[in-house]
Amino acid sequence: MKLYFISVFLLISGAIISIFLDKNIKMKFCAAVSFLSAIFAFIPAFGVIKSGETLQSTIYLPEIFHEVSFIIDPLSAFFVLMISIISSLGVTYGIGYIKPYLKENTNLSAHTFFLMMLIASMLTVVVVQNILFFLVVWEIMSLSSFFLVIFEGDKKEVLKAGIKYLVYMHISVLFIMAAFAVLNLKSGSLNFSDFASVLYNDKELMNIVFILFFIGFGTKAGLIPFHNWLPDAHPVAPTHVSGIMSGVMIKTGIYGILRIVSLIVEPSLFISYTVLTTGILTALWGILYAVGQYDIKKMLAYSSMENIGIIITGLGTGLLGQVLKNPFVMILGYSGCILHILNHSIFKTLLFCGAGAVYTKTHTKNMELLGGLMKKMPYTGLFFTTGAVSICALPPFNGFISEFLIYAGIIKGIPSTNITSFMLLVAVLAALALVGTTAILCFTKTVGITFLGQERSENAKIEKKDVSKIMLIPMGILALFTLLIGIFPAQLFKLVIQPVSILMQSEIPDYVRPVFDVTEYLSFLFLIFVLIIGFVFALKHFAVKNTRVHKVWGCGYNGLNEKMQYSASSYSDLFVSTLKPLFKRVSHIKKPKTLFPKDAYYETEIEDIEEAYIVKPLVKLDEKFLSRFEKIQNGNMQQYILFGLVFLILAILGVICWG
Amino acid sequence: MIINLINTVLLLIMPFLFVGTIKKTKAFFAGRKGASIFQPFYDFLRLLKKETVYPDVTTWVYKFAPVIIFSSVIFASLFVPMSCGMSIVNVPFAFVIFSYVLGFGKFFSLISALDTGSSFEGMGASREACFSTMVEPAFFILFASVIALVQINSFESLKHLVFNSGVYGYLIIILASIALFIMLLIEGCRVPVDDPATHLELTMIHEVMILDNSGFDLALITWASAIKMFLFASLITSLILPSGLPLWLNILLFILCIFSIAITVGIVESSMARFRMTHVFEFVFVMSILSLLILTLSTYRIYGGV
Repeated sequence: MKLYFISVFLLISGAIISIFLDKNIKMKFCAAVSFLSAIFAFIPAFGVIKSGETLQSTIYLPEIFHEVSFIIDPLSAFFVLMISIISSLGVTYGIGYIKPYLKENTNLSAHTFFLMMLIASMLTVVVVQNILFFLVVWEIMSLSSFFLVIFEGDKKEVLKAGIKYLVYMHISVLFIMAAFAVLNLKSGSLNFSDFASVLYNDKELMNIVFILFFIGFGTKAGLIPFHNWLPDAHPVAPTHVSGIMSGVMIKTGIYGILRIVSLIVEPSLFISYTVLTTGILTALWGILYAVGQYDIKKMLAYSSMENIGIIITGLGTGLLGQVLKNPFVMILGYSGCILHILNHSIFKTLLFCGAGAVYTKTHTKNMELLGGLMKKMPYTGLFFTTGAVSICALPPFNGFISEFLIYAGIIKGIPSTNITSFMLLVAVLAALALVGTTAILCFTKTVGITFLGQERSENAKIEKKDVSKIMLIPMGILALFTLLIGIFPAQLFKLVIQPVSILMQSEIPDYVRPVFDVTEYLSFLFLIFVLIIGFVFALKHFAVKNTRVHKVWGCGYNGLNEKMQYSASSYSDLFVSTLKPLFKRVSHIKKPKTLFPKDAYYETEIEDIEEAYIVKPLVKLDEKFLSRFEKIQNGNMQQYILFGLVFLILAILGVICWG
Repeated sequence: MIINLINTVLLLIMPFLFVGTIKKTKAFFAGRKGASIFQPFYDFLRLLKKETVYPDVTTWVYKFAPVIIFSSVIFASLFVPMSCGMSIVNVPFAFVIFSYVLGFGKFFSLISALDTGSSFEGMGASREACFSTMVEPAFFILFASVIALVQINSFESLKHLVFNSGVYGYLIIILASIALFIMLLIEGCRVPVDDPATHLELTMIHEVMILDNSGFDLALITWASAIKMFLFASLITSLILPSGLPLWLNILLFILCIFSIAITVGIVESSMARFRMTHVFEFVFVMSILSLLILTLSTYRIYGGV
């Protein structure tokens, strides 16, 4: 446990020290600190997850907090592992990414300070037991990520997205606070573990509290319909930050939900149905909108939504298994959920890093302007493709393992006695299949348009030089992870068993063990797959002797140029126009005028219909209502003091009357 | 063991004969004599010897893709029940692995098409990707309903349909065969979805994606797509054929069945024109509707009504 505290302490002191350092070594210092702290956090967390024993330590703080205990149980340990490893890789990548900004006179102090604080707060959030302390750390996490998002705050859209993020986070905290307040009133305790009995005794209360938590934590995770901050905030943040945010930070929302699930002994059918439907709808929504995007980072943000949806679907499957008393479904669902959390953090960070590398070189995130980068940036291209394949959950990469477990859970649950859950599971199965194939459409588009073909604009016509090694190495490590986990899932699966048993609140019964063989035979099969690929490759290598390079065939036309290629929007057009009612196309047109038109353009953009038809009208309504109170804000200091005085008097009167 | 060996041999040989039979049938309906049914195999051998041409814009993706496409189809074939309703590797949840492994091949065939930067191939890739999103959910619903009925979650659940469910079983078998046949036409890129006989039509899907491939690469890809069709055909046969017959009879029936499916494909191709692109969607949705019908039937069978 001491090692864990050292790790957090290192991060916080690193945050403070980094303010006083020269800006050239700031990021390097941060990377070193985060690596060191990752090692310190890794040792206890790995021990816990291996043995299943819980580490605990309590400190005493003044008044309201009382005693604050830190508990590393296998579930927390799993998150600690993920946060420390992925964040340190992200920060290392950041050294290279931040370099171009050094020349400009940007203030890095705030950036490095909040970066370190973000990691420290994430590490604390998943461990702390006291709900008040939890809220404080949660808030530190939200605020520091907000400051990281507005790194380029002088741009209007960055600030706008940042504030939107802040507003969403604070609405979400309201729900979490409400749920905590209810539980605190009922149990009279500030500790998570004391809530279990309250939730067990009152089923009605359990449903309400769970929904409150689900909305609160779900907003952080980007669940539908509270997802709108996600596709706005991720693209504007610096890439290593969006990598860490999407790969790790939104998972703290999932952690919150999982922690609550671990307190619920007997979930109700209502809860499991809610979780399952929300999960699958989020996945569908995310991937459908990801297809229509041409901004790489925005696309990745939507695809984060998709993966969060898949994770929650796994959780829902597990919950349903628990309700239906089917241990196979429960274990497969839960383990799929937990594995996908890890897998997603790996490949999503990898993909964001790849997108950042592209941005560093070409200064654009717009796919339509890119192309032919595979030749210019071979390693980035290779790693990005690896990430894309594994995010599509294609074997033998890691994404497949977790999705396969979720599929297996659903299929095991299908021969059920309950017709509603039968229908729901079949629908979820079909929807997951749709999500999977749409992901292929989406990521072939991204890889194909960004990295392949000819250069689509001046931006892509860069010299043939990949990004610096300090950016490539973290990407390489992550890419290696995706393949290794994919081929040898059995080892990783052993690590997941302990967190799963926390979610089940019981040891895994012996007769369910055969289900774990799933990963063993997958490992064996995928080795065969790799061998087949190797064999065919070798065959091709030796058989193909005479090759020739020639122009692409253009049906007899020899003047093919880059403008004649398929573009990102034309690639996805057939799909998008088939599902027209689900999207809102916004076009910005400037028609050509005069005889020799110069600046005419036509731009289309796909807007989220949830934002367009629900959020925006609501905000408008709110604005209309609040504008009536504009008179109060008249800039007159004396009046403000008067308001304060009136409020105080009312408060005192209130206390006298009701207190 | 012997069955596995036989199945492996069948897997390597039958796809060529399958394509050959389709071509022969088409020739018969066109009043021509047609090439022998071994012609696809000779073509394959000839392609192997030919020079391989790479377009100048392409990268390693283009060179690597045929290898992946072929290997993924071969790997996927390990799970599919062939003669005697036996698959070489029989694992639970095989249909998930099957379709995701094929997806891996599809991923590379799509990006290799985009690698050439040709708008033809981009168009083909766009269509292929779009259609597969429509097909896959139907495939999963189909298997979910079969699994719910027979309570076996590997591919071999198909052959148990006959015993378990009486008249519902027969109805489901008929519907499922049609659905899988449609899937064969879509995934194998046959008329009325696609026309493999010509490369140069703007309505092309799969064929246009391999416009620039040649030599060894083209050989691998054509073999792979032939195997893919053969796999769907064997899925259909494992639905239809009764098990428990003597080995030789089983294998004979299997081969006959495969040939008759090939002839059916040929008849469909000779009697229909390719659909317009907008109508292809309707055709694809027929499969979804069929699998929903199957779902309804199996729900009715299990729960006695919705």
